[in-house]
Amino acid sequence: MTSKSSAEVALIRINIARRKRWDLLFGLLGILALATGLLTIASLFVDMLIGGWERLHPDFFTNFPSRRAAQAGILSAWVGSVLVMIVTATVAVPLGVAAGIWLEEYAPKHWITDVIEINISNLAGVPSIIYGLLALGLFVYTFGLGQSVQTAGLTLALLILPVVIVATREAIRAIPQMIREAAYALGATQWQAVKDHIVPYSLPGILTGVILGLSRAIGETAPIITIGALTFIAFLPPPPIMEAAPYVNFDWLQAPFTVMPIQIFNWTSRPDSAFQQNAAAAGAILVAMTLTMNALAIWLRYRLRKNIKW
Amino acid sequence: MNEHVSKQFDSDLDAIRAHLTRMGGMVEEQVRSALDAFAAGDRELIELVIARDRGVDEMEIAIDDACTHIVARRQPTAVDLRVVMAAGKTVTDLERIGDEAKKIAKATRKILERESRSGLTQIAEVRHMGERAAAMLHEVLDAYVRLDAAAAAAIMRLDKEVDEHFRAIARQLVTYMMEDPRTISSALDIIFIAKSVERIGDHCKNIAEDVIYIVKGRDVRHLGLEGLEREMSGE
Amino acid sequence: MSEANSQISSLPVKAEVKNFDFHYGDFHALKNVNMPLSDRKVTALIGPSGCGKSTLLRSFNRMHDLYPGTRYGGEIVLHPDRTNLLDPRVDPIEVRMRLSMVFQKPNPFPKSIYENVIYGQRVRGVKKRSVLDDKVEEALTNAALWDEVKHRLHDMAFALSGGQQQRLCIARALATDPEILLFDEPTSALDPIATASIEELIHGLKDKVTILIVTHNMQQAARVSDFTAYMYLGELIEFGYTDEIFIKPRDKRTEDYITGRFG
Repeated sequence: MTSKSSAEVALIRINIARRKRWDLLFGLLGILALATGLLTIASLFVDMLIGGWERLHPDFFTNFPSRRAAQAGILSAWVGSVLVMIVTATVAVPLGVAAGIWLEEYAPKHWITDVIEINISNLAGVPSIIYGLLALGLFVYTFGLGQSVQTAGLTLALLILPVVIVATREAIRAIPQMIREAAYALGATQWQAVKDHIVPYSLPGILTGVILGLSRAIGETAPIITIGALTFIAFLPPPPIMEAAPYVNFDWLQAPFTVMPIQIFNWTSRPDSAFQQNAAAAGAILVAMTLTMNALAIWLRYRLRKNIKW
Repeated sequence: MNEHVSKQFDSDLDAIRAHLTRMGGMVEEQVRSALDAFAAGDRELIELVIARDRGVDEMEIAIDDACTHIVARRQPTAVDLRVVMAAGKTVTDLERIGDEAKKIAKATRKILERESRSGLTQIAEVRHMGERAAAMLHEVLDAYVRLDAAAAAAIMRLDKEVDEHFRAIARQLVTYMMEDPRTISSALDIIFIAKSVERIGDHCKNIAEDVIYIVKGRDVRHLGLEGLEREMSGE
Repeated sequence: MSEANSQISSLPVKAEVKNFDFHYGDFHALKNVNMPLSDRKVTALIGPSGCGKSTLLRSFNRMHDLYPGTRYGGEIVLHPDRTNLLDPRVDPIEVRMRLSMVFQKPNPFPKSIYENVIYGQRVRGVKKRSVLDDKVEEALTNAALWDEVKHRLHDMAFALSGGQQQRLCIARALATDPEILLFDEPTSALDPIATASIEELIHGLKDKVTILIVTHNMQQAARVSDFTAYMYLGELIEFGYTDEIFIKPRDKRTEDYITGRFG
């Protein structure tokens, strides 16, 4: 079993060539699959862009919807989306992160904890319209919060809560046990370990999860319709900042509103083909917003992960 | 004793032990031959003994080398360490015994050249002492192979007798020399031979000390017989 | 008892392990261990995998309290105040503030070198900058790392090499002025040169702090420790001066392990 003759070496080379053919095959299949997905999305996006190109000028962003297609804009829609996202983030992030931390660091090993875990994963799969129905009954009627920005925000917060919780848990789980032990071995209390180590080191993962959750929420239509977003709004909610005391105004939370997906839906259901252009333009903008948020998530993750080496 | 996980280590240690045993056998053969040559005046045997000493020296070098290698490669501990450290010392003692055998042969040659093997009765005495020493050597080598500390201690006690024997022979020969100066040359030759035998006994004692060190981990050199008794009975 | 043991018991003692038992759930991992820890000396725990040496080490600073299903029996008494470290009434945090640990793989926090070293002080609420600066310099000097990092204290700890990171972890452990320094196989992830420098460091620290080190490398125990304890299957088989254990151990099981006749 020492040296090989040149005939044996030739056999080895044939063997390698044969096996590498499978490498090539699966590489090609992978590229094909990727290309199919990418090209489909790209072509849809490009199609929308082309369709709505004429409408993409600054006026489109500052005009209210109108019965005349050429003058219709997405002002109320994108402002509404932004305001709703603010509420969603403000509610979902603290709740979701705290729940994730509690489940990973504090929860005792008990069957009840296991039940909670299973249910959180299941919640992520519940159809979004169910959230809409829940919100309608709970927020709109029982709590009397009205068909407003705050209701939409709360509904979407519930929707993306499982995503935030799971992202938080995965990020926390990635922290090696030895880091925790090092912190405790230096005399840290549990709270100090969480505050000084667990949260900072899981931040990249949490942020990624939050942004991915938000980029899903921004496109949710069914629950928003259910709780009664208006489809034709020609006004903006009251501004949050005023000139007179107390300078900060929360009336906008209770204002009626609309969001981007609903505006798009509204325009596509009009018979007038000019509105299709609007819809295409708004669609392209919505996709751009989503892509931007995802890019932001990736960039943030890269920046924050640079210092962590495990 | 069970085997090392490393078979190579086992065989390296065994090789040292085998070499030592063989060297012991060679040296024992040398001592007996030298004493026989002295008793019978056998010139051929004398030359043989002198020539064979070279082989003994070569074994000393080979075994020391093997010990150094084992220390470098294996970092032996506990009993293995003691075996290797003791082997170095035992090898030296064996080589010296071989040298003493050579000296006996050479001295015998001188006596034969002088052709003055007068009827000194001490020749028989020396032969008797030689037998004792040869027996000691045989037993200590045996104790080494069997790692028998009790047998080794017994040999150490025997050495006292060999020393006594030498002093008796020396006293007698001094008396002869004083009475008849013509016997001085031959008497001196015999004293030297007797001294060699006595030294062989001392070296056997050293080897016995090495055996006790390997088995018990106690260094019993320079303790004297009382100290030895205490060491052997304690623990 | 031999004179060796009476010699040992006359030395000042920093801690005593008394009738110590340990269970992981139903598994009886450590059985009736009795052992002294001599003050300002290095004691090594050796033995084959699974013998319980790490379990014993981690009991000193109540690391097992972090995990469910573990149970201590017996005492580990710390001198001079005679506190039983295992007493459930003694807060594990108090124990960990008096003892420090260095782990198997270098595990610095993803923070700067400075922040790593003083985390122990921050945890205690020390805020004064000058105090912290002094502590950092002292600890890094004792860990033989000061000269290499003094000009880049605010660089990330991960920029250091493996051996430097482990020395950083040692500095971090020293910065809290521990009474006992616990080492859990500190060089098993390092190359031979880094290992040698850590051993040199341990040698230098010996006069300042009592050290207990677990190692699976017997030669390391022989080089570094004053006392060695051989453990097997949860029992302490033999304890004594390192020289004696490595030249003439009393128990055949110890000898078999040390000479590599363990099969």
